[in-house]
Amino acid sequence: MDQFLVSLMNGVVYGLLLFMVSAGLTLIFGMMGVLNFAHASFYMLGAYFAYTLQGAIGFWAAIVVSPVLVGLVGVGVERFFLRRVHQYGHAHELLLTFGLSFIVAESIKLFFGNYPVDYRIPAALDVSAFTIGGAQYPVYRLLMGGIAIAMFVVIYVLLTRTRVGIVVRSAIHKPRMAEALGHNVPLVFMGVFGVGAALAGLAGAVAGAFYTTNPNMALELGVMVFVVVVVGGLGSLGGAMLASLLIGVVTSLAVGIDRSLADLLALVGVGDWAQGVGGLMTLKISSLSATIPFALMLLILLVRPGGLMGEKG
Amino acid sequence: MTMKTTLSIVAAGVALLLAAPVLLSQGLLNAAVQMLIAALFASAYNVLCGQAGMLSFGHAAYFGVGAFATVHAMNAVGGAGLLPTPLLPLVGAGLGLVFGGVAGWFATKRTGTYFAMITLAIAELVHSLAPHLKGLFGGEAGVSSMRMPAWGFDFGSTTQVYYLVLGWTLLCVGLLYLYTRTPLGRLTCGLRENSQRLRFLGYDVHGLGVAVFAISAMFSGVAGALQVLSNESANYVVFDPALSASVILNCFIGGVSVFLGPALGAALMTFFGYAMSDLTRSWLLYQGILFVLVMLFMPAGLAGLPGTLGRLRRRFGLARLLPLVLLSVGAASLLSLGGTFAVELLQRVFSQDYRAAVQMNPGVAWPDVTLLSRAWSPGSPATWAVPAALFAVGLALVWFARRLHRALEEGESAPPSVASASASATVVNVPVTRSLA
Amino acid sequence: MTEPVLRIRGLRKSFGPTEIMRGVDLDLVNAERHALIGPNGAGKSTLFHLLSGHLAPSAGEIVFDGRSIGGRTPQAINRLGLARSFQITNVFPKLSVFENIRLAVMRVHGLQYSFWKFIDNDRVIRRETERLLELVRLTARAATLAGEMAYSEQRSLEIAMTLASDPRLILLDEPMAGMATEETHYTAQLIREVTKGRTLMIVEHDMDVVFSLSDRISVLVYGQVIATGTPDEIRNDARVKEAYLGEEAHA
Repeated sequence: MDQFLVSLMNGVVYGLLLFMVSAGLTLIFGMMGVLNFAHASFYMLGAYFAYTLQGAIGFWAAIVVSPVLVGLVGVGVERFFLRRVHQYGHAHELLLTFGLSFIVAESIKLFFGNYPVDYRIPAALDVSAFTIGGAQYPVYRLLMGGIAIAMFVVIYVLLTRTRVGIVVRSAIHKPRMAEALGHNVPLVFMGVFGVGAALAGLAGAVAGAFYTTNPNMALELGVMVFVVVVVGGLGSLGGAMLASLLIGVVTSLAVGIDRSLADLLALVGVGDWAQGVGGLMTLKISSLSATIPFALMLLILLVRPGGLMGEKG
Repeated sequence: MTMKTTLSIVAAGVALLLAAPVLLSQGLLNAAVQMLIAALFASAYNVLCGQAGMLSFGHAAYFGVGAFATVHAMNAVGGAGLLPTPLLPLVGAGLGLVFGGVAGWFATKRTGTYFAMITLAIAELVHSLAPHLKGLFGGEAGVSSMRMPAWGFDFGSTTQVYYLVLGWTLLCVGLLYLYTRTPLGRLTCGLRENSQRLRFLGYDVHGLGVAVFAISAMFSGVAGALQVLSNESANYVVFDPALSASVILNCFIGGVSVFLGPALGAALMTFFGYAMSDLTRSWLLYQGILFVLVMLFMPAGLAGLPGTLGRLRRRFGLARLLPLVLLSVGAASLLSLGGTFAVELLQRVFSQDYRAAVQMNPGVAWPDVTLLSRAWSPGSPATWAVPAALFAVGLALVWFARRLHRALEEGESAPPSVASASASATVVNVPVTRSLA
Repeated sequence: MTEPVLRIRGLRKSFGPTEIMRGVDLDLVNAERHALIGPNGAGKSTLFHLLSGHLAPSAGEIVFDGRSIGGRTPQAINRLGLARSFQITNVFPKLSVFENIRLAVMRVHGLQYSFWKFIDNDRVIRRETERLLELVRLTARAATLAGEMAYSEQRSLEIAMTLASDPRLILLDEPMAGMATEETHYTAQLIREVTKGRTLMIVEHDMDVVFSLSDRISVLVYGQVIATGTPDEIRNDARVKEAYLGEEAHA
């Protein structure tokens, strides 16, 4: 039971992390209609910036400064790259962001090497919060979850309760009308893009210390974020939260299941046959935990193509 | 270009390809085999991407399925019976077709961005599953086999492998071209242009999407099969996102609006990868930069250049166009040189060995790095002045070229037609990619 | 009394809290030319979307040739014999005019998945495509890219593509928008000839065309049909005058 609780909490934290990155992606998609392939690259840049700065200005300052830097990179990408290809259509913008993500990954390999770097949580934070089932539960996991929740609350309040938020939402839904009303819509676009990037950067700065920081982290997380967005429904923040938590929890629980499909079939008496077949049947669920989100995505596409909280059909 | 000119160019190209084993060294011949395979893969990919307008981000999956199917067939059949070695790519085609049909059924349920994400997720699903299915994918060592003699050939030499691969590549590229002249081929373009209208004309757009996807996957499977025939092994590394990424880059650098554009782009990039991988460690970075530059400034790709140049020549005349072309080429060369120099310097300074050397001797000035057989000191400003100067002059040439272009436009007497007015906005400006439906 | 080709009963469509169609009842008699007029925002295009399968009704039924088509897919409805043109030109911009029409013609001859023959060799398809080109007077523009033509020429292309499937019921959504007088006359005559024996519903703002071309007219205001009748009846209908034609209802 304790093991289950621990897995559950880990899953929730991972899901919140996924949400932090996919929320920005959903906002940017809602605003520009284009999927920013480079969004997970912002996540990776956040981790690497924080790692570089940590030595100079300390962990906490690095966590604060790194997202700002990533936000500036995001603003630059929107202003100098995306704006130029806007005229060629969505497919072109998607390809451009794909190319940029490729360049970011290769540049990181250039500067930091094609292997993980030693970005670690500072010793002061490497303590346990409480004991559960005989194991220590690290404070840092709770910290990550807390930051994600705080970020969600701040964004929600900003968007719904402040004047800036109203302008942003109007620019997202009806950019030309907002412009006609005198708002500087290009500036709003740049700002939302930058904030979305900064959010991803914050997630990277915080998570990179706990999980691994390597040049492939953008791709690994990026694919997961895309799955979240398909499962949750693009453009829906609520859907993104639901899907993130779902995927996080399912993945985390699956890691603890040391059973395979053959064991399940043993319950109905065909276990030996399944063992004989081998292959997929005898693979442990724990090994398959990484593939479960993709299977979930395909299932959603079969049953409810619009996503859990997207439009029907 | 007239039909006759095109045909004669193609004939000349085929003749060159046939003569290659005589003209090239063994190493280059090997590279040529890889170039052919990449060209076929890119052409297969273009059916989906350039013609149907559906961006697939995980096409390596179908290449890989074809590869593994073939290597298992090679082991099972031993190059005899119904499937002698030259006919083995049929296995790759068959499984590529089936797997592509299944994957395509899912993927084409959505369009545009969603479609791209689904294809990526399918590829990642296979990629993450493959290491666990050792029976199928052979674990880290992969699955290996051997080419068996057939039809009087022993397929032991590179030359014979080259002709086998060439034969299949020419056949498949030819079939792909003929495909564009069939009703389904024309409908593929219709999918790109306006899939919604196709619905109102009574077409089953989902079914069309699945068919096109499956055909693209089939020929991708053939490409995978050819690679296995050439390498005599298959490894699950083939499902890596890197291969999917490279076919996208190759396609668009070559240009998707011309039929042979992707093939040429793939051949070029593969050749450069082969030639450059000894000279530089940052080859992939250059490829990415080239791709982004093409996306920004040359949306029609390299294959679109002759068309644009021809259009400009008709408007301005050769005499006035030549200085502009020279300026542009000069600017491009200088900027490339400057960029390459800077990247190479950075790569050396940040490499693991160099940093270890620096850390071992703290307090001492940083050692020199070797570039172009000369020693450069990273601490001295002179070293960095070289790329800076190249950039500065290159950018100045760009500025001159822009001014010259604008002067040419304003000096024009005949009013431009609707089509060329939009084409003259930048030096090359042909919107090729359609908006995602 | 013969069955009407199209019967609409109690058709409603809402987008969230906004109700666009508020209960439309309409019958189309076989082989009649029926115009649909009404002020902007009345819901004419929405009605076409509901009939052609682009939108699903929120309530009510649509029966075409005895079959209920409300909520079916556009391709199913088209195959049943209903074809529509679009108010905002909806062609294949980077393909030639010839190709545009040919794509429409191909489906009628069952050429969807064929990859074993060359389309250029098919004489039947080519003749049919050329016939349609000739009909809308676009033969000279056969090789032009559809996206590069003048607006009125694109409208003609729209009509040709709609006619290609030899439909029983044709919906034309402002086919003459942007055309000069001579073109309008020609197109009106073209529509009159081509729709002989077929049923036509046409949305148009040019009142001369509406009154000369149609057998009956329905007036749609605020998502409801307020009057249906012959052109004379409509011209003299007080409600129509007040709501749409703009004359004083009370002298």
